[in-house]
Amino acid sequence: MNGDKNVVSGTKSSRAGMNDLRLEAARKRLTESRSQEDAIEGLREIVANFLGSEEIGLFKVERRSATFRVYWSFGIDADDHDLPRALGETGLQRVMRGECHVVLPGRDRSGPVSKVQAFIPIRFANQTVAILAILRLLPQKVAFDRTDMELFKLISEEAAKPLFGASVHAMSVLEGPGMRV
Amino acid sequence: MSKKILVVDDSKTALMMEREIVERRTSYQCVTASDGQEAIEKAQQEQPDLVLMDVVMPRMNGFEACKRMRQQPSTREIPIVLVTTRGEESYMEAGFQSGCNDYITKPVDGAELVALLQSYLGE
Repeated sequence: MNGDKNVVSGTKSSRAGMNDLRLEAARKRLTESRSQEDAIEGLREIVANFLGSEEIGLFKVERRSATFRVYWSFGIDADDHDLPRALGETGLQRVMRGECHVVLPGRDRSGPVSKVQAFIPIRFANQTVAILAILRLLPQKVAFDRTDMELFKLISEEAAKPLFGASVHAMSVLEGPGMRV
Repeated sequence: MSKKILVVDDSKTALMMEREIVERRTSYQCVTASDGQEAIEKAQQEQPDLVLMDVVMPRMNGFEACKRMRQQPSTREIPIVLVTTRGEESYMEAGFQSGCNDYITKPVDGAELVALLQSYLGE
């Protein structure tokens, strides 16, 4: 019995250790980016390799006009994507407050009717300066788990500077108060 | 002497993660390459005990590199595990036709990867 417990706890600890390695690799990749272009590529790699998605959009918050602008996308035509609609009012408020918002798949009798999606606030100086939208998972990745949430948090906290460089200060400080949602 | 794994990926993030797993969680050594062409050259020079290779890469993809390694006497017998985001059956079939021994999909589960490597190389 004890032996079984040890096996389970060993597996858990091994998985926790693997998650630490994953977080460390992601942090290193973002913070050691040589340019904004390289940071975007790093973000794409992190999402594809660690989170299992190749349909991603990065939307910059335009505080003056209270809108979102597509900054970059991969695997989707982000111009056709209505971010506020996808998030809904509650989701948008959560993300603007700095919380990640995960949409779970809805189902009816015929099967899944909506996809798993995640919206991650990119934060700088206590403000959401952009939103990373993960819009569809690879077929082999069925859901996000607890370790993915830790990676969302890391992206949220670490991505702003590498992605937006010096302009991140202007985005958060000079453009005024929080966005109306 | 510890066994050696050649890790091949054009993504710096994946390469960093897979290298960390090999170096910190196993007793194996790790050498790296960032595309199929470089993988063939490194495989010939380093004679690794196993190749862990991404499929979609610039210059030469993993399928082609796998085929070429199988054609060369010095690399013919090295076990090759392909790693990719594409999990479709047709894609996996193409992988096995190229001569790989195993095929795993991203996101890679680190614990499962270690178990797979150990199944080929022992602990």
